[in-house]
Amino acid sequence: MDNTAVIAARNLVKRYGPLEVVKGIDFTVPTGQCFGLLGPNGAGKSTTMRMIMGLAEITSGELTVFGASASHMTREVKAKIGLVPQDSNLDPDITVLENLQAFGRYFALSPAVIAERSERLLDFMQLGDKRHAPVHALSGGMKRRLTIARALIGNPELVILDEPTTGLDPQARVLIWKQLGELKKQGRTLLLTTHYMDEAQRLCDQIVIVDNGTVLDQGTPEELIARHVKGFVFEVQKPALAQSPDSRWDQEDIGDSVLYFVDETAEFIADLPENAVYLHRPANLEDVFLRLTGRILREN
Amino acid sequence: MRMPEFAYVLAVCDRQYRVFRKLLGSSLVSNVANPILFLFAFGFGMGAFIDTMSGMSYLTFVVAGMIGYSAAFTASFETSIGAFTRYFLQKNWDAILSTPVTLTELLLGEVFWASAKALFSAICVLIVGWIWGGVPHSFLPLLTLPIVFIGAICFACAGLVATAYAKGYEFFAYFFTFWVTPMFVFCGVFFEISRFPEFIQYIAWIFPMTHLVAALRPLTANIGIDAAVILLHVGYVILFSVAAFWVAHRRLKQRLYD
Repeated sequence: MDNTAVIAARNLVKRYGPLEVVKGIDFTVPTGQCFGLLGPNGAGKSTTMRMIMGLAEITSGELTVFGASASHMTREVKAKIGLVPQDSNLDPDITVLENLQAFGRYFALSPAVIAERSERLLDFMQLGDKRHAPVHALSGGMKRRLTIARALIGNPELVILDEPTTGLDPQARVLIWKQLGELKKQGRTLLLTTHYMDEAQRLCDQIVIVDNGTVLDQGTPEELIARHVKGFVFEVQKPALAQSPDSRWDQEDIGDSVLYFVDETAEFIADLPENAVYLHRPANLEDVFLRLTGRILREN
Repeated sequence: MRMPEFAYVLAVCDRQYRVFRKLLGSSLVSNVANPILFLFAFGFGMGAFIDTMSGMSYLTFVVAGMIGYSAAFTASFETSIGAFTRYFLQKNWDAILSTPVTLTELLLGEVFWASAKALFSAICVLIVGWIWGGVPHSFLPLLTLPIVFIGAICFACAGLVATAYAKGYEFFAYFFTFWVTPMFVFCGVFFEISRFPEFIQYIAWIFPMTHLVAALRPLTANIGIDAAVILLHVGYVILFSVAAFWVAHRRLKQRLYD
């Protein structure tokens, strides 16, 4: 596998006036991987993505995309990137097929290539029978699928997806996951943001967790889980908690109950009182995310 | 900055053309039927009371004005309310700027499409004027078309300036009241500007419309053609366009990139 970096950020900073939104982050997106950029609202994800697309100026530090600086993005580099934005910006005045054709023109593709790719992408995203439908007649899931198809018209090496399944029903999410997996098999690099940790865990090879403009940790989902939360989680309802001193178990008080992160399940269960009420499950990325970024609501 | 390439400018125009084909009916009504109605009303109605104006029949006089005005209105509308909708409401510009198309190419595409549409309206007015006898039966009036196109580019660029500074649709009330309507009233569309007090005449010459109509009228009437004067008027319109495009581009760059 080619291990050169598609995106490399070094000490990347973005300031809006006095407000520092991205505070010197480092990460590398290797070729052919699905890379997850995770963080709560306002963590600096969207700003970072805008800098990668060349739509936001870099305050300081270094950001290269396909080896070239993102602050002077050439047309050739731009042509290798497909963007799936969070909010639909499909063209509502034209049909599904015409949306793909218009985008093909923006990539200066020949009519024959546009025709061939449009058909293939409609098929790929299961929109074939909607080809002549106006955009406003599509459901949310169809719109998202069309946005993904549109991002692929230029046959991009890098696909950037900003919350691709937010607000979709489970069926639509499963289809999108399957097709994103397919894109990875084709050797494309994916950069993904999502608030669904199951999605990140399922799709991403590498994950960076950011908050307040800094990188909190990065690694594979398994590495992150091993590093921060051990193998299993017990959610034990108060007041019947583990009997050993607090220092014995890695724990976090979340109000009505306490989370215990443990490797030795049998020993832990033996430490619980008879009347303990608890849930027991393998630790996942959501536990890591909440441990790293905290449980305080960002809107407050 | 990257040099704009024609293929990308054309791609932006192509999208507009697709929409235009779908909305042909309403496009024709507002851009073609509208000025033709004015032409009839003023040509017939006013024409009955006015023998000649500037040494030509009133119908001939007003045809040149309506050609200019139909181009001005169509181009202004397309790059103001039309472009603002694509930029602000539909986020169509955001989508385009995520592709290899640059901001300059996007804006040039908007301007050229608006100008093509404006030229189309102007041609319709010219044909009606010609059939109706307000335009001499010669090839001379065809020379107005490149000038109308240049004028339309100017109005399209001015419309983009409005879009660049607009925070919402209500802003365009100012744009139409203080920019488009004066071009209809003060710039020699329906009568000679010499009827105004002198200071209003000075203001009138600031508007590119006055120069456009002054360049068109000798050609559509085939009276008093002076190539140097026409070129001077066209030169002013071109300078105005370049300045307006520059202002719009600068402001939109600030707004679309951060």
